[in-house]
Amino acid sequence: MATRSVSPGGALLRASRMFSLPNAIPPPPGDAAAGTNHTRSDTMTLSFPTHQVITTLNSSRKAGDWGLKRPLPLKSTTKSSNPMLRIKAIDTIEQITDFTSATDHGITLRKFQELGIPITARRPADGSKDSSPAALNLPQKSVFESDIDKTDIPPKQRVDTVDRRWKFTGPWLAGMTQGEFDKWLVKEVRPRRRAFRRFLKTKIAKDMHTAAMQSALDKGEQLQADPVDAESVTDDQLIDYLRMLRHNNQDLYDMVGRFLDLAPIRPPSLDTSSLQPGSKVDLREPSNPYAEHGPPVTHPSAGLSYLRTSMYMENHPIYGPQKDHAPVQARVLTPRRPAQARPAMLGVAGFVATTPLGDTVSNIRSTSLLDKVDPSIVGGGKVWMRVQKASVDSEGRMVVTLLDASLESKLVAQELLGEAACLGVQRAAEARAKPESATDIRKRYSAPTMSSAKGYGFGPSE
Amino acid sequence: MSCRQSLTAALRQCQSGVSQQQWRALSTSAPVAAVRHIPVSTNRAKRTRSSPNESLLGLLTEGLDRGSQLTPQQESEMMEQQNGRGGVVRDLRISATTDSYMKQMPRRWRTGEVYAPKDLSATEMSKWRTARKPKQDIVDMLGINPLDNYRNFSLVSEFITPMGRIKHSLETGLRPVNQRKMAKAIRRAIGMGLHPSVHRHPEIMRFSKASLPQSAVPSASSQQNRL
Repeated sequence: MATRSVSPGGALLRASRMFSLPNAIPPPPGDAAAGTNHTRSDTMTLSFPTHQVITTLNSSRKAGDWGLKRPLPLKSTTKSSNPMLRIKAIDTIEQITDFTSATDHGITLRKFQELGIPITARRPADGSKDSSPAALNLPQKSVFESDIDKTDIPPKQRVDTVDRRWKFTGPWLAGMTQGEFDKWLVKEVRPRRRAFRRFLKTKIAKDMHTAAMQSALDKGEQLQADPVDAESVTDDQLIDYLRMLRHNNQDLYDMVGRFLDLAPIRPPSLDTSSLQPGSKVDLREPSNPYAEHGPPVTHPSAGLSYLRTSMYMENHPIYGPQKDHAPVQARVLTPRRPAQARPAMLGVAGFVATTPLGDTVSNIRSTSLLDKVDPSIVGGGKVWMRVQKASVDSEGRMVVTLLDASLESKLVAQELLGEAACLGVQRAAEARAKPESATDIRKRYSAPTMSSAKGYGFGPSE
Repeated sequence: MSCRQSLTAALRQCQSGVSQQQWRALSTSAPVAAVRHIPVSTNRAKRTRSSPNESLLGLLTEGLDRGSQLTPQQESEMMEQQNGRGGVVRDLRISATTDSYMKQMPRRWRTGEVYAPKDLSATEMSKWRTARKPKQDIVDMLGINPLDNYRNFSLVSEFITPMGRIKHSLETGLRPVNQRKMAKAIRRAIGMGLHPSVHRHPEIMRFSKASLPQSAVPSASSQQNRL
C-alpha cells in the first residue's frame, strides 16, 4: 500500500477529506445565449456535476461529522433522507465550510443506473445522418470499446489514433465563434509559426528520403541508408512545399491538424464551381465518431454507466423472457405546444429528452398527456417510455433516446407496481383463493422428524 | 369585447374569468381546485339540457354578456359547437388551462439537461421569467467591429431602448471598449439620418408586425384606429 511508506501522520492526512477531495472541474461550456439577454437561472442544476459528492454514515451525521475540518450544522444536514453534500470550500476566510446539497446529481446518477443502459458513442459520419430513423435502429457501439476509448496515448501514436480518440489538445474549430477563433489565432497559433516551419521541414526531409529510396529501388541500385537531415532542407524548398499545400485543402488541413492536434471536423460540402482553377478539392470524411458534433468535454461515458451492452433479455417469473426491456415512466416536463411550434419535452431519470422521432404513437396529435397539463394528476403527468440508448454530446449533456413502450410491456410493468391487473395477479389471486384442507396445513407446519432413521429414508417402511 | 374579436379568442377570455370566479366562490386552498371542478362530459351522446355541459353553456353566455350582446348568428354558432362538434369547447378549455399553467413554467427545456425537483419549483421557474444581463461580451464573441456596422439597423436596434436611448452597459453586457464603440456607432447612425432617434427602425417594425398572429394586428378599419 502506498500509505505504508509514509509516516502515520502523513497517511492520516492523505486519507483525509481535505486531501482526497478533488478540485472542481470546469462547468459546462456556455452557449451563444450567454452573450444575449436570454432568461436563465444561476441556480439551475448543471448538466454535469463539477464537485465530488460526499456522504457520511447516519451515526456520524447526527453529530455533524462529515470528515471535514469542523462539524456541519445539524439543522440543514440531518433532514434529508439522502445524505449527499458537495463541498465548495473546506475553509473560507469567514471560517465556515461552504457546502450545498448534492442530491440533484447524486440521485440522478442512481436513477440513471437503474435504467441499466450502456452509454454509446455517436456513430461515425458514414454518409447517413445520425438522427435519421434508419440510423436509429443500427447497433450502437459502447464508449468503452477498446478501439475508440483511447486515453493514454504516447505522443508518437497521436497521429495514428486521430480517428479513434475523443481527447485533443487543440480545439474543435467548428464549435468556435468567430471572435474566439480570432483570439485563438493570435494567442496560440501565431507564436508557433517557426515551430510549424520546422515541422514542415521534417516532413519534407522524410518525403525526400522516401523519394530517394523509391528511385534507388526503381533503378536497382543499392539502398541509401542515411536519411535526409531536416536542417538541410532549404527555404526555397519549404516555400515551394507551402505553395503546393495551399492548393490542396485536405493536405493542408492534415498538416495543420497534426501540428496543433485539432479535433477532426466533418468537411463542408463545397461548391466546386466557385473554386479557383487549379486548386485541388479532395476532402476526406473523418471516421472519428465525434467529428460531426464535436468531441465531448468529459469522458464520453460521463462516468454515469460502465455497462458495455444492453443486448440481453429480461426475464419475468410468470411470463418468461421479455422482448423489450422494461419501460419506465417519463415525466412530461412540457406538453406539446403546436401554436408555438414547441415539441413535448420528457424527463427520464432526471435527464430531459424528446419524444421519439418518426411515425410513432407519441407523435399522433391527441388529447393524451403529451398535449396538455392536467392539474388533477397528483405529481404531474407521466407516460411510459422505453429507453433505447444514451450518448453524451459535445457539451457534456446526456442525450437519452426514447421509444414508445409496447402495450404488453407497459402492462407487465404496471402489474409489477400494482397499478394494473393481468394474468400474474389473477394466478396469485387463484392461489390465494384455493381452499386449504386441514392436512395441507398440518403438512406445512409439522416439524420434520429428523431424529429418527425413517426421516432419512433408512427405516423400515410401514 | 370588441365586435371584431374572434369567437375563439373571446371564449378563451371569458373562460379564464369564469375559472377565477369559481375559485373565489369555493375558496379552496389552491387555484388547482378550480380547474379540477370543471365539468367534463365524456359521453358525447348525452348532450341534453341536464348534462354538465349545460352549466358550462350558462357560464359561457354569462361571460359573453358582460362584453356585448350576442348576435343570433354567434349564438347559433355556439349552439352548434355545443351540440354538433361537441369536443371543441372542452378542447379549448383544456388548451386554456394548459396555456395558463405553461405561463407559470417559462423554462424552455433542452435535450440532455439535468433536472432535480428544485428545478421544477416556483422559485426556480420565476428566475427564468426575468431577462438577465449577458454573461459574455457579444461583440467579442462574434469578433465584429461595431463601428463598421453603423448601417446595420438590426444591430443598432438591439442596443437602443424602445424610446431610442442607448442602452447602458449593465444591460448590454459589453466591456467598456466595445460599449463605447457601439454607442459611437449608434450616434453615427442617428446623426447620419440612417436610423430614427425616437424608436426602432421602420423595417424592424414592419417585420415584427408580419411575424405577429393576424388577430393581434389591428386592421385599418377597426374602431380603435378611427377615433
